[in-house]
Amino acid sequence: MKFRSRKKEQLFWGYVFLAFPLFLLSIFVFFPIGFAFVVSFYDWNLLIPDKPFVGLGNYFELFKDPVFIKAIKNTIIYTLGVVPVQTLLSLFLAFIMNQKIRGRAFFRTAFYIPAITSSVVTSIIFVWIYSKPGLLNFGLNSVGIDSNIDWLTNPTTVLPSIMMLNIWTTSGYFMVSFLAGLQNIPSSLYEAAKIDGANQWQQFWKITVPMVRPVTYFVVIISLIGCFQVFDQIFIMSSGGPDNASTTMSYFVYQNSFKYFRFGFGAASAVILALLIFATTLIQKKYFPPEAY
Amino acid sequence: MKELKLQKIGFIIILAVATLIYIGPFLFSISISFNADKNVFEWPIKLFPETFTLDNYKNVWNELPFGKWLFNSVLVTTIQTVTNVFFSALAGFAFARLEFKGRKLIFGLLLSSLMIPGIILLVPKFIILNEFRLINSYAGLIIPGLVGVTNIFLMKQFFETIPKDLEQAALIDGCSYFRIFWQVFLPISKPALAAVAIYTFQGSWNEFLWPVIVTYTENMYTLPLGMASLRTELMTDWPLLMAGTILISLPTLAIFIIFQRYFVQGVASSGLKG
Amino acid sequence: MKLKYLLLSLIVFSGCTQKEEILRYSTWQSSPTEERILRRTLTSFDKAHPEVAYAFQPIPGNYPEKIQLMLGTGKAPDLFWLKGDTAPAYMSFDVLEPLDSYVDGDEEFAINDIFPVFKDAFKHKEKYYGFAKDFNAYVLFYNKKLFKEAGLTEPPKDWKELYAYCKLLTKDTDSNGKLDQFGFVIEPSIDMVLPFAFQNGGELISENGKIGVGEPEFIEALKFFMSLYRDGIATIPADQGAGWIGDVFAREQCAMAISGAWLIPYLQDNAPNVDYGVVELPIGKQKATLAFTNAFVIPKQSKHKDEAWTMMSYLAGKKGMEIWTKSGLALPTRKSVAEKNGFYQDTIFSVFMNSIEYAKLYKVNLKERWYDESQAAMQGIFYKKKDIKTSMEELAKTLEKYKIE
Repeated sequence: MKFRSRKKEQLFWGYVFLAFPLFLLSIFVFFPIGFAFVVSFYDWNLLIPDKPFVGLGNYFELFKDPVFIKAIKNTIIYTLGVVPVQTLLSLFLAFIMNQKIRGRAFFRTAFYIPAITSSVVTSIIFVWIYSKPGLLNFGLNSVGIDSNIDWLTNPTTVLPSIMMLNIWTTSGYFMVSFLAGLQNIPSSLYEAAKIDGANQWQQFWKITVPMVRPVTYFVVIISLIGCFQVFDQIFIMSSGGPDNASTTMSYFVYQNSFKYFRFGFGAASAVILALLIFATTLIQKKYFPPEAY
Repeated sequence: MKELKLQKIGFIIILAVATLIYIGPFLFSISISFNADKNVFEWPIKLFPETFTLDNYKNVWNELPFGKWLFNSVLVTTIQTVTNVFFSALAGFAFARLEFKGRKLIFGLLLSSLMIPGIILLVPKFIILNEFRLINSYAGLIIPGLVGVTNIFLMKQFFETIPKDLEQAALIDGCSYFRIFWQVFLPISKPALAAVAIYTFQGSWNEFLWPVIVTYTENMYTLPLGMASLRTELMTDWPLLMAGTILISLPTLAIFIIFQRYFVQGVASSGLKG
Repeated sequence: MKLKYLLLSLIVFSGCTQKEEILRYSTWQSSPTEERILRRTLTSFDKAHPEVAYAFQPIPGNYPEKIQLMLGTGKAPDLFWLKGDTAPAYMSFDVLEPLDSYVDGDEEFAINDIFPVFKDAFKHKEKYYGFAKDFNAYVLFYNKKLFKEAGLTEPPKDWKELYAYCKLLTKDTDSNGKLDQFGFVIEPSIDMVLPFAFQNGGELISENGKIGVGEPEFIEALKFFMSLYRDGIATIPADQGAGWIGDVFAREQCAMAISGAWLIPYLQDNAPNVDYGVVELPIGKQKATLAFTNAFVIPKQSKHKDEAWTMMSYLAGKKGMEIWTKSGLALPTRKSVAEKNGFYQDTIFSVFMNSIEYAKLYKVNLKERWYDESQAAMQGIFYKKKDIKTSMEELAKTLEKYKIE
């Protein structure tokens, strides 16, 4: 092929290279975003050919729906519970791992395994662990704590139990991110601190934490987005029960869209969830930016 | 000095306890999968089964459509991994090494799409695929995951680290950009390509939500969905269930252990620059 | 080049799933026993109608959702089973084929042989949309050995006896301080409350559309039902790490259970040594139980309606139903079949057949979400110890929103 100029050549190849990805992303990402808003204004049931326009009707109905309100509440509790604990735990583990300890590769692998394992697998294992005669109660009883509850059908424990599972699965992943961040901190900083007589604890809070701020920002964003959309574990372990104690927003979206087949209503609830996530990330960007003040 | 040593011992103890917590559940599930006794709730719960059997693994193959689910999972994962590697490299190359009108705009568009939670796309994607009558088909299962934006970013970041003058010589020789991409850039991007491949593999292999929505007959299920469907039925055959879950986990585990450094690299680079 | 192959193979794959040329028949999937009998029935159909080519495609897990998806995506099977409780919703969606003209042209189908209560189970606006494949009803299963150990000879006849017997049958057999045998096993589920509510003159939703869950009769029945659990003389499967009530009964962790006939083959397979008896439910103010019936239906979108009817007419007809119900896994909805299979003489199956007289159908004129709302209310009562009266009155208000016009 002959091109009159390098510029033209780059233009041609640039779009050739991007053609397929852009085509696909337009169909499955860009168009659907707009389409989701459109659908949310209709009473759209797949089984009924007539799809009347209802304006904001679905949104009004949502905020009058006690299950949806509960779902918002559960989602926020879930996120507020998981994100800080997970972030601190993975930072803490990374900090210890960074101490030139023998067998580091082994520990890293061990912590990472839950993160690479299918959510279905971990959920099934934890259904067994959390069941009334399961491992958790057995363990508690063997150390003298009398525990006789079914963790997943008890309304007060079901959500915390799934949150614990989430922390357990993803903290290894974030630990690796932190570890990479830690390794970029110049060791001279620590040496200087040691000369000043700072102990490990002080070093952790005064050097490590501020220095990994960009990583922390990334970790918090990713885990926020993940927590807001938690679905697999809920679907497999509790189906949102008992008494909607573990119904999260994404489970609500699924249930209404694909179980009750109310696409418009489901899409409206998804839009609310998306807005909530968007707002949270904006707040984070504004008040907790990746770089220090 | 003594204090330092004490501290180190403390750290090792913490790590050991953490390791137990992180891999303990897997050890128990492995144990249950070899247990001949179907009542897995007998207290005291033991790590080593009293009667050892391989039957649960045999039954996973014989009593469940495990082979079919495995085929589906392998098919979906293979196609998505190959296309993701190829197309994200192509797009990443275009964004990193080519100057053309609209590049910044398109890139910004992709960047903003990362902020969109996947859940909002479910209903529209379903309606679109249904228009093409692709619900419950391999196409419906596979096509939406052929290219991922995150992978494009990863590749773009990688290509940006390569010195500017690499393509110059080739261009003077009159090579097309595709050939430069194919013959000059691809061979040196193995680590990045591997990272993309491993991520995509892991993501598609473990994907749950999309198959839940887009498939409804057993013969179209992928492995995670198949196993989850057993759990939701009146299924209390824990040894069988655990044997299945162990089998699903093996490929990701093997790939992780073999390609560990690419995993870590990927997490690190996406973590630092994302 | 690679790209081309990929696209090509994708097109081929998507093409693969569309070669649905012949009639497709779908059912939900339950036990291996049931599937064996199902295949036997199909074999006899093959002999009677070799001209009908079909593919049998059972659907595992979340059946109602999947059928809905298939209907919505134009890929519904040409003949499938429909759960009776969800039938009103489907009939109102206008996705099923009315069957009156087929019935009229098919004398062999003998529609009047079907017990009236089941014949009209799938009638909507004076049209038939489906015919029952079988029925089942809640009866009382009791463990004879455990009864004997407690010095009891007869199963309970009324609520009072039920409560008293439960108390007698709840024990700590290995004296470790924890109860390991209970009188009764129940599920925190609305359908298990219904027989008690019916017996007390209550209703879920009446024929003229009045929601009854908040009425005193219903609440009183639920209070009795709950007292069994709250007083610690009944257990629930989750408390025993069991999957369902049958599991608990099979393990002899309870002496009584309410179940349909599906428990019989389960016990045969999993607990052949359990010596049990089956009797009609203990009586409240009146005799009543809950009957389940599921139908064969043909979707409007089917392209093989005539063949589908031929198949339905056989399977829901005298011949097919005879083979299908012979083992007693499910009970026939046709009088002639029950007689032919000798069910009126059988000690166990006569219990089910006799219950037809007073059983109420599990057919709910509400949109699908009614069930999840009701379950949530039940779970609140069971696990959160919520007040029964306020919960049910709230539920009644909620269900108002899900009425089918």
